[in-house]
Parts: sequence; structure tokens; C-alpha cells
Amino acid sequence: MTLAGGMPARLLLQLSWRNIWRHRRRNAILLSAIAVAVAGVMLLNTMMRGMQQDMMNTAIENLTGHAKILEPSYLDDPGIERGFAVDDGWQRALPDHVQGWASRIRIPAVVMSERETRGIQLVGVDPALESISFLGDADVQGERLSGPDDARILVGALLAEALDTATGRRLVLVTQGADGRTREAGFRIAGIYRAEIAGLERAFVFTGLTALQRLLDTDNVTEISIRLDDEDRETSTIEALAGSFENLSVVSWRQLEPQAAAMVEVSGVTIYILFVIVMGALIFGLVNTLVTAVMERLQELGMLRAIGMRPRAVVAQVVVESSVIMAIGVAAGLALARAVFAFVADGIDLTAFDDSLASFGMRPTFVPVFDIRDVVLIAVLSLALSVLASFYPARRAVKIKPLEALRR
Amino acid sequence: MRQYRTVRGHQQRVARRVLGTVAVACTLPASAEVSAQSLIEGALDLTRGTSSYTELSMTIHRPSWERTLSLVAWTRGREDALIRFTAPPKDAGTATLKKGERMWTYAPKIGREIRLPSSMMSQQWAGSDFSYNDLSRTDNYLRYYDFEIVHAEHRDGHTIYTLDMVPHDDAPVVWGKETLVLRDDYVTLSQTFYDQELEPVKRMETLTVGELGGRTFALAMRMQTVDKPDSWTEIRYVAADFDAVVDDSRFTTFALRGR
Repeated sequence: MTLAGGMPARLLLQLSWRNIWRHRRRNAILLSAIAVAVAGVMLLNTMMRGMQQDMMNTAIENLTGHAKILEPSYLDDPGIERGFAVDDGWQRALPDHVQGWASRIRIPAVVMSERETRGIQLVGVDPALESISFLGDADVQGERLSGPDDARILVGALLAEALDTATGRRLVLVTQGADGRTREAGFRIAGIYRAEIAGLERAFVFTGLTALQRLLDTDNVTEISIRLDDEDRETSTIEALAGSFENLSVVSWRQLEPQAAAMVEVSGVTIYILFVIVMGALIFGLVNTLVTAVMERLQELGMLRAIGMRPRAVVAQVVVESSVIMAIGVAAGLALARAVFAFVADGIDLTAFDDSLASFGMRPTFVPVFDIRDVVLIAVLSLALSVLASFYPARRAVKIKPLEALRR
Repeated sequence: MRQYRTVRGHQQRVARRVLGTVAVACTLPASAEVSAQSLIEGALDLTRGTSSYTELSMTIHRPSWERTLSLVAWTRGREDALIRFTAPPKDAGTATLKKGERMWTYAPKIGREIRLPSSMMSQQWAGSDFSYNDLSRTDNYLRYYDFEIVHAEHRDGHTIYTLDMVPHDDAPVVWGKETLVLRDDYVTLSQTFYDQELEPVKRMETLTVGELGGRTFALAMRMQTVDKPDSWTEIRYVAADFDAVVDDSRFTTFALRGR
């Protein structure tokens, strides 16, 4: 097999390989620089991916799901008068890869204790269906709701504190019924839940769906939330559902939680920016090393040219050298990253920064994600950069005039 | 069942008096055969009228300041009322209209009337210790309570009854219990609101009982939060004309603007 300039590839590789070994110390330093940089980028990457995953999961578990079926005007003005009836067989329209669904009533309400009043979202749920949301595995002090008929309420710990109330006491909820008239009633607190995101505790008060329908004088629900097994099939699922619910909107979590969706996208781009900055800086190190290597071998290269080596072969030699250095560096870096990752794979405890993290919709412990796609991406991009980096040194090598080089 | 409107029982009865729906109980109870039910209904009858016009003063006291406002109120039946502040100039023109359970306020400074959303109904009315809810509750709250006479005693020629009012479990009442002290001529002497641990939270006390506009009732009352002894609101009746003729157009958002 021959490569550029009619030179056998094996010979070319051998030549480059030996050149690298000629300057062990210099190349070892360069290799470690590449390895450390790649490891750093990769580790940052796992954190970014972890954060992304976390924000997405939080957004989805935050009573959103991957998609929601809503009455079209509900989002502009949430209320029970913007609810819809659910036919018995509606689930047939669901695709196979649905992990779970929950129909709910979710309406704004005012909650009053003896001393305080707060605005909240009153959510009527069927507790058995809520494994798809944070409520399913939230810590509850006291009792959980026993079923859709349970007319007691679950209150978040922070809200309970603000209202100065406790399990077993009563709160008064005021909201609007289906006829537009005010409904108010006393509800006994079954239990107090804790959520990983503090804001949820202040926002949501849960009660049984059927019990709430009775209070509001309606058989309708305001939303059906759907969680998928496979988030990559989100778009096709939404399209399929939109077909079967003609008068209703099927809305993706990206529209329902635009802030979280934007953060997820931004962190995706940030990964590339970080990579370009770190590797961009490294490239100059690589260029420098390669130029030095070329300048050191002026006579040698001149001789090779004089005895008939083609300019293309010279270029190929530099490119191969650059790529080999980069490939070894990247491999070492990724291995290092994987080794360090093993220590943090179980999650990093950030409880100390709980409040500030929560404002970004993140949990206090977050788990970095080592994505094999990122490994491939980093490897491919690095090699591409190394080829780019060898352009200038290769040009220098080609420009060597055999006569001048030999005369030195 | 006759109505004793009371999510916030007494406050609200006072509120209704603020609104002027005060009527006379013509006869005193004839015998010692008194039930909690009849007492409460009697107290209700005392605050009933077809229409009225009253003038009141309201003093809001806080630890660092105190101010007194004057207001006039028209009422029709138990459903409709219009209250307008007349002094001081800063507050003059500010008005509240109640039609059934719905309420609107008008502030001359912004020149708009606002329909009060339910989220605002528990907020303070005009900065006083009364809430909008206290003004707006309608009569059918009696059904939310169990009543019991827990004490009776003779004082100054009257029998004084103490009633416990315990809200039902699903009642839209935040209190754990209310106690009501009534005279045998149905004049309310005090009402206390307890939280669900049965600690007193708010108390309403009658300061003066007297005759005005031909009826005997509590002429001055003070509402206060128990753990804030330096903050209270007092309401005094200055003039009252019961069964005054009040025009229907009085209870419209147009009238709310003071035109």
C-alpha cells in the first residue's frame, strides 16, 4: 500500500514514530498537556451532561412529563373552565413506548391557615398514577393520599411552615368552580411532602382528583401528562398524539418549561465552546513542537528531498506525526478522565449550595454522565484539529530547498 | 336554617353593621328556655334590615401611628352594600361595593374600579384589622358550624351567654373554634377566634352598647389580633337611619365611582 508521494504507508508511519521517539522529553511534556486538557474537557463534559440531564428530569418530573395534553387556551388562562372530558378508551391512542401517564386537575387556588394566606397551584391527582412525577417518590411525613377519592390534602414542607400549620390540621382552599363561581372548603392535611426542588414545596398542594372534581362540580380534567421511555421519540409521539386528540393541544415539555429547555440547550453548546477554547490553546503547543521538529531536521529533510522524496510525502510525514501525538494524548486523556470519573460517578453532594442550585432547577446531589457519544466527538474533533495544526509546519517542511539545507 | 353568616363570625357581623344592616329585636326572650340556635338567630335578627344608611368612624391603631377615618355606608338587604370613605382627604372617595359574595373597590387616584379576586379577599380592608372576607361573607355560613351554650350568668340585669361555635371538618373556616358572648337581648359582647390548637388568635370586643336610630346594639367595637396588643381597629357608629330609602342605582359600579 502506498500513500502520498508513492511512499509506503508503513514506512511513513515508521518514520514519524521514530521522529517522535527522538525527543522523548519534549514529546512527553506535550503528550501530558494534551492528556490533561482532554481529561479536563471530558470531565467538565460529564458534569455538563449530568446538569443537562438533571435539569431535564426536574422539568419533566415537575408535573410536566415529556408531553401534556391540554385544552388549547389553558396555558393562557389556567382554570377548570378550560378543562376537557376524558373518554374511557383514550389510552388506546398512546404509543407503546409510554412509561406512564396521569390525568390531573391543576388550577390556581388560594390556601388559608389561621394566620397566613398563600397563592398556590391546587392539583387533583390519582396517587396511583403519579409514579411519573416527583410526587411518586417524595418523602411524606404523615400519610399519603389513599386514592382519587381522598379529600384530604398533601402540602409541601415549606408551605406548611409558611402557613404555620401541621399534619392533621385544616386549611381552607379557595378556587373557582366550573361555573365560574368561587368554591371554598376546608381540607384536612393528610401529610407534608418534601421535594428535592424547594420551589415545588411552595407551589403545589395535592388532593384526590375525584374529590376535587366533586368540589368543582365537573367531570373534566385540565391535563394529561405523559412520560416516555425513550425521550428521543418525543417528537414522533407528540405528532401521533396530536392526531388522536384533534380539539386539544399536545405540548412538549420544551414549551411548558421554556426556561429549563433553554438551559439544556445552552449547556449543550457550552460543551463545544469549552472544547474549542481548551483545544485551541493546546494547538499552539502542538504547532510549536512540530515546527521545532521540522527546523531541527532541516538537513535531514533536505537530504530526503534530494534523494527523491516527494513534497507530498514530506507533508504526510508531518501530518502523521501530528496525528500520532494527538491520538496518543487523547487516548491517555480519555483514560484519565474515565479513571477520575469512577470516583464521582455516584454523584456529587452539593447540599451546601442547595438554594442557589434550586433556582436553576437542579437537585442538591447531581450525577455526572459519561456519554460515549462525547468520547467519540472529542476524539474525532481532536484528530481533525491535529491535522489542521500540522498545516503550517508541513508548509515549512515543503518549502525547504534541498540545496540550501544540505549546504549548512 | 336561619343564617348566621360567619366565617369570621363576629367581625363579619360587625362588618355588616358597618354596612348598616342593623335591625331591632323588638322583644326580649320571654323565658329561660334558650337554645344556642335561637340565640344566634336572635343576634342575626338584630342585624337585619331592608335598607339602611349609617355614618361611622374607624380608628386604626398601630404601635407607631394611629389614624381615624370617616365613612358612610348604604345597605340593602343582606347582599348589597356600598361603603365610601369621606375623610381624611387622602382616603376620601375610596369606596367598596359588595354585591352578594363579589366585591369591587374603587380608588380615585387611579380612577378605576377593581373586582377583587379571591386571592385578595383575605387581605386587610383599608389597612384595618378587618379583611375583605369579613365584609363579604353571605348568610349561609351557619350551616358550617355546631353551636353549644357553654356558660350562662346574670350581670347588670341581663343573662350573658357564652357559645362555642365549632366549624365542621369541610367548612371553609380556618378557625379551630369561635366563642361568642351574647346578651339575652341578642347584643353581642365579644367574639374570639381560636386556631386549631385552641389558642386565641383574634378577638372582637364590644366597647359600648347603646341606642342609635331607634335600636339597641353594639355602638363601638374593637377588633384585634391577640398577640399584637398594640394593634387594633375600632369602629364607632356616629349616625344611623334604618329603613332609609336607598335607590337601586346605589349598588352599581357606576355609583362606586361616586357619581
